[in-house]
Amino acid sequence: MRDGTLPRALAITVARLIVGYGIALLIGVPLGTSLARSRLAKQAFGPIVLGLSSVPSICWLPLAIVWFGLSELAIQLVVVLGAALPIAVATENSVRHVAPSIERAARTMGADGARLMLTVTLPAALPGILGGAKIGWTFALRSLMAGELLFVSGGLGQLLETGRDLGDTALVLGVVVVIVALGRLSEVLLFSRFDRAIARRWGVEEL
Amino acid sequence: MFTFAKAWVEERGVSLRAVTSSIRPPPPSSIPPSRSGASVALEDVSLSVTTEAGAVEILREATLSVAAGEFVCLLGPSGSGKSTILNLIAGLSRPTSGRVRYGDGGVTRPGPDRAVVFQDAALFPWLTLRANIEFPLKLQHWPADARRARSEELLRLVHLWRFQERFPHELSGGMRQRGAIARALATDPAVLLMDEPFAALDSQTREILQGEVERIWSATRKTVIFVTHNVREAVRLGDRIVLMGTRPGRVLHEEFVDLPRPRSSNDARVATLATGIARRIASEVEKVAREEADDAWVAPGDHRPGDPRRQLGRGI
Repeated sequence: MRDGTLPRALAITVARLIVGYGIALLIGVPLGTSLARSRLAKQAFGPIVLGLSSVPSICWLPLAIVWFGLSELAIQLVVVLGAALPIAVATENSVRHVAPSIERAARTMGADGARLMLTVTLPAALPGILGGAKIGWTFALRSLMAGELLFVSGGLGQLLETGRDLGDTALVLGVVVVIVALGRLSEVLLFSRFDRAIARRWGVEEL
Repeated sequence: MFTFAKAWVEERGVSLRAVTSSIRPPPPSSIPPSRSGASVALEDVSLSVTTEAGAVEILREATLSVAAGEFVCLLGPSGSGKSTILNLIAGLSRPTSGRVRYGDGGVTRPGPDRAVVFQDAALFPWLTLRANIEFPLKLQHWPADARRARSEELLRLVHLWRFQERFPHELSGGMRQRGAIARALATDPAVLLMDEPFAALDSQTREILQGEVERIWSATRKTVIFVTHNVREAVRLGDRIVLMGTRPGRVLHEEFVDLPRPRSSNDARVATLATGIARRIASEVEKVAREEADDAWVAPGDHRPGDPRRQLGRGI
């Protein structure tokens, strides 16, 4: 199995993860922001978002397969749904809890509308949004693994499935180790930088 | 590898800071030429908000006129609508009825010509002190070098030049408040609205900052409307004190403070005047306390606790 299968599977999985997670961020943050700021959005989507986020995203796979067939699109739908909703919920919470005086101060300086949101509200909510982004990342990884396990698609999930078919526990455990390493590495590469910047700026004690 | 990178960053951070603080600040320049104050007036302004409990009247028919360049203190217990008046002038809220006038026109929305200093400073935690001061200028599309020159000027004005690269959480409460004042002055507003800016500070720091506000006001002649519940602070700073009453918030009485400047809180004349005003508002405060405490309220003078040391052990 050291013939390049693992690196290839890993590359496929990581590529999917990055695309799906990117889309999830692009959906989750604006969705959470509008939930926090628009009464209409809150009433229209609030219950749906909370309700849907309790559905394990893999439950969407059958529907996705019916819609899109056994394609990249189907598996991305699962990843995006899995990650976007927790990101939206965390974003909504942290935007809603930005200190009112911060936004009022910005308004007295002449900021309003989109500019207020982009230059003041979102930066102020960043610590909370980052928390949501981390949870979203792990959700994306989990959803992707489940999706890859369930249909032949390349990627680490399929490698796990192969290991099961061959009764090769060493392969299965090896892939699990790779997944753990992937999670840990993404933490170091993606989030620790932001964590440190936030700790320095907001004055959070680093452990 | 990462610990190495971290150590490198920390080392660089520390050494940068060491360099900044070892350079002597440039000599304090005189206060920059600026836009002087504008007049502000409230005409029969009322404000009610609807809550779950029904409509609550926050301010009733407040009439107040502040001349250009005047220093007016709004003084009253909590719930008397002091901060509401500030918000109305800032344009952060709209009156239910009546008009808020500013200069030649009316107030319709917030603008950088009416700056506010909040009680909690409200500096942006993700920006350094300098970036905080430059933020309103950025909103006005000032070019970078002009912003830098302006923030430099203001940092020296409030004596925070050495701390320009610090984040707000690395500053003391008094420094944060001075930073907020500098940020408010950045766009050269005609009116400076201060909402209990020193309420959370210790008395020594407060005294120093009161002196700085007086100095800045004397030099720039901006219109200052200063909200406080501290009688002595109002007497120490204001040309005129507007006493506010509660339930609903309204203007009760105005008093001119005709004392020479610069003043001091410990001045006997300030103290005498403050005592007189405090007596006047005591009845208002009592009214609030009575309402909030319901039956538990004991009017002052009804009880005589005496020396607590003598009571030790009594009634065991």
